[in-house]
Amino acid sequence: MIEFKNVSKRYAGNQALDDLNLTIPTGDFFVLVGPSGSGKTTTLKMLNRLIEPTDGDIYFDDKRIIDYDLKQLRQQMGYVLQNIALFPNLNIQDNIALQAESLGWSRKRRIDRARALLAQVDLDPNQYATRMPSELSGGEQQRVGIIRALAIKPKVVLMDEPFSALDPISRKQLQDLVLQLHQELKMTFVFVTHDMHEALRLGQHIAVMRLGHIQQIGTGEAIMQHPANDFVQGFFENEHTPRPATIHDLLAQGYGEPTTASATLTATATVNELAAALKTQSTAAVMTDHGPRQLTTADLLDYLATKEAD
Amino acid sequence: MSQINHILQTQGGDILHAIGQHIGLSLISLLIAAVIAIPVAILLMHHERWAKVMLQITSILQTIPSLALLGILIPIVGIGTVPSIIALVIYAVMPIFQNTYSGLTTIDPNLEEAATAFGLSRRMKLFRIELPLALPMIISGIRIATVMIIGTATLAALIGAGGLGTYILLGIETNNNALLIIGAVLSAILALVFGAAIDWLGKLSFKKAGIVLLTLVVLIGGFAGYRKIANPQTTITVAGKLGSEPEILINMYKDLIEHDHPNIQVTTKANFGATSFLFKALQSGSIDIYPEFTGTVLESLVKGEKSASHDPAKTYQTAKTALKSQYQMAYLKPMQYQNGYDLAVTKQFATKYHLKTISDLVAVEDKVHAGFDPDFHQQKDGYPGLSKAYGLKFASVKTMEPSIRYKAIANGKVNLVDGYTTDPEVQEYHLVVLKDDKSFFPPYQGAPLMTEKLLTQHPELRTTLNKLAGKVTTTDMQKMNYQVSVKHHKAATVARDYLRSHGLLD
Repeated sequence: MIEFKNVSKRYAGNQALDDLNLTIPTGDFFVLVGPSGSGKTTTLKMLNRLIEPTDGDIYFDDKRIIDYDLKQLRQQMGYVLQNIALFPNLNIQDNIALQAESLGWSRKRRIDRARALLAQVDLDPNQYATRMPSELSGGEQQRVGIIRALAIKPKVVLMDEPFSALDPISRKQLQDLVLQLHQELKMTFVFVTHDMHEALRLGQHIAVMRLGHIQQIGTGEAIMQHPANDFVQGFFENEHTPRPATIHDLLAQGYGEPTTASATLTATATVNELAAALKTQSTAAVMTDHGPRQLTTADLLDYLATKEAD
Repeated sequence: MSQINHILQTQGGDILHAIGQHIGLSLISLLIAAVIAIPVAILLMHHERWAKVMLQITSILQTIPSLALLGILIPIVGIGTVPSIIALVIYAVMPIFQNTYSGLTTIDPNLEEAATAFGLSRRMKLFRIELPLALPMIISGIRIATVMIIGTATLAALIGAGGLGTYILLGIETNNNALLIIGAVLSAILALVFGAAIDWLGKLSFKKAGIVLLTLVVLIGGFAGYRKIANPQTTITVAGKLGSEPEILINMYKDLIEHDHPNIQVTTKANFGATSFLFKALQSGSIDIYPEFTGTVLESLVKGEKSASHDPAKTYQTAKTALKSQYQMAYLKPMQYQNGYDLAVTKQFATKYHLKTISDLVAVEDKVHAGFDPDFHQQKDGYPGLSKAYGLKFASVKTMEPSIRYKAIANGKVNLVDGYTTDPEVQEYHLVVLKDDKSFFPPYQGAPLMTEKLLTQHPELRTTLNKLAGKVTTTDMQKMNYQVSVKHHKAATVARDYLRSHGLLD
């Protein structure tokens, strides 16, 4: 269990966090969400003491984190960065195994662990283990970034906007991946995002933050149904009143393949118009900023199904 | 080109030795600089203010001209290898420090944050992450330093540390372009080869590069240690100024001493530097003996004896007494030959006007077009004094660089030049030296100079070296100089041949 008690942080007269009180239950998937400047990343980085509070105390398993040996504290916490930050001089398995190396694991044990983790996230160890980070795509790199944080089986995994730089398809796949990993591993996940949609999709509990204050803490459902104030309500507005879905939304979710066929639809057409087009033919070509793309009936059904699930 | 080939064939061994010296000097300096600069950069990577101070200091050191730096170092550490290495290290520290520091401080802050958040120890962070990431920058710093060191190391020859600079200096001094080209081209090639080797080193992993560097340190250290142990302790070092003549003389000294005293080993240091370097080296004990001219002693070394007499014996006595009282130095008896100023004309010109002495010139002074070294043209013991003493006034006088004078007379641009009595060009261009019948030119006779301390320890040296007293005529010396600097025979061989043919060595 993690507890923030009256935690404040000031930078040269600027109040980044003001009297923060927060409890994160063990094994929870806890999301800190808010616009930039809300203090969500500051809150996260206080847990592994990359940032020290000006006032107040943070407890981890009923002991103040400043009473832990710094190295030991950090070795109980995995960390995933927004910019992934794989070490470019180390190959994939050495990146994953670095924290284990610092704990003094034998080479065989840590390499085995790295390869097992790669297999777990569908990256073939025989193919990926000895590659360099620059040889991987952004999505693949962040997969490695996530399993690197899991390598030493930490109690807590801290994730600082890990998917904000990724394309929609990779983002969706990785959201699925962390949900699955959270279920399998029973670790506490603390996740920072500015994307309300991502917060609702992932979080068991969500803390909505603004200007160094917590606006509301609760399950996604509770917050959606009973927003504590106008700010929270406004932040969730898009989720409440969906506008008619357009083909643009499908494309934004990563559906559609490039095609050479001449386009019959534009991206602003609604999903209904797409459905009408797909009644007469198996694919429909859409003009986009990046040239024509074709959508299939399967794409449409898949999209609608996912949307329902949300 | 054929001259270069000839030199390469006849002096290949010496050139290889110079390359070895050059590489040794450069590598030792480079290693010392790296051993200083890299750890200091690591220590200061989190102390920006101190790092800035260090950068300032190294930049200032960088701006000191290399000759001035050597000049500053000589009174402190003497001459030879040590001051050369110190100067080179001072130059090399800046690029290595600067590159290491920027390499370490420009690492992506996200990577630093990741390494910190993973709880890596300071040591592991440094060796697993920071140094490997900074390595390309560090290597490029070392590369810059290497090229700079190899270039600057040519100046080490000025203060007797040897290396390829010896050939460059000698080439300039004797107007021998072939030597100059050999020295310059070889040091350029060295710089290229080492640059490429360092690039290759940079492509290796951090670990392998470390192993290669460590091996190099052990090899050089081992070699230096071996040389120290292998060299017996009772050695006498004989050095000589730049040029063929001193080199021939010191080889004579070596042969004579080693022949008479098998327990003494003589090391020769040819082309060791200019007069003041050698004299300081003798004072500091870096060398034991060197041949010096009586005239030079009075002109440049001792105080208050400027007005040189025109009598050689008197000049020697004055020089000897002054050296003893002012510097506690022993000056043994001089050889016969004179290496002073002279006037030379072409054979045709001499035959046509029956010229034998300088006085003979008075009759034909309106036909004389002289080419003089700028010093000779100005100094009192040069043309102005000469003109007064003999009542001479030539039709025209041009001043030109000493090395060009002989070419000018050979090409008929002038018909009279000044020179030194033992210049090999007299023989090469078939010139006639006019006799100084009024003994105007001050005498310059060569004699061995050493500290009194050495002579007390080895009194036997006096008898041995005095075997040369009154020997070696001006013509002998001219011939030997011709053999060495024009024909490129080895100075050691020429010296030994002379000693054998004159019964001084069996």
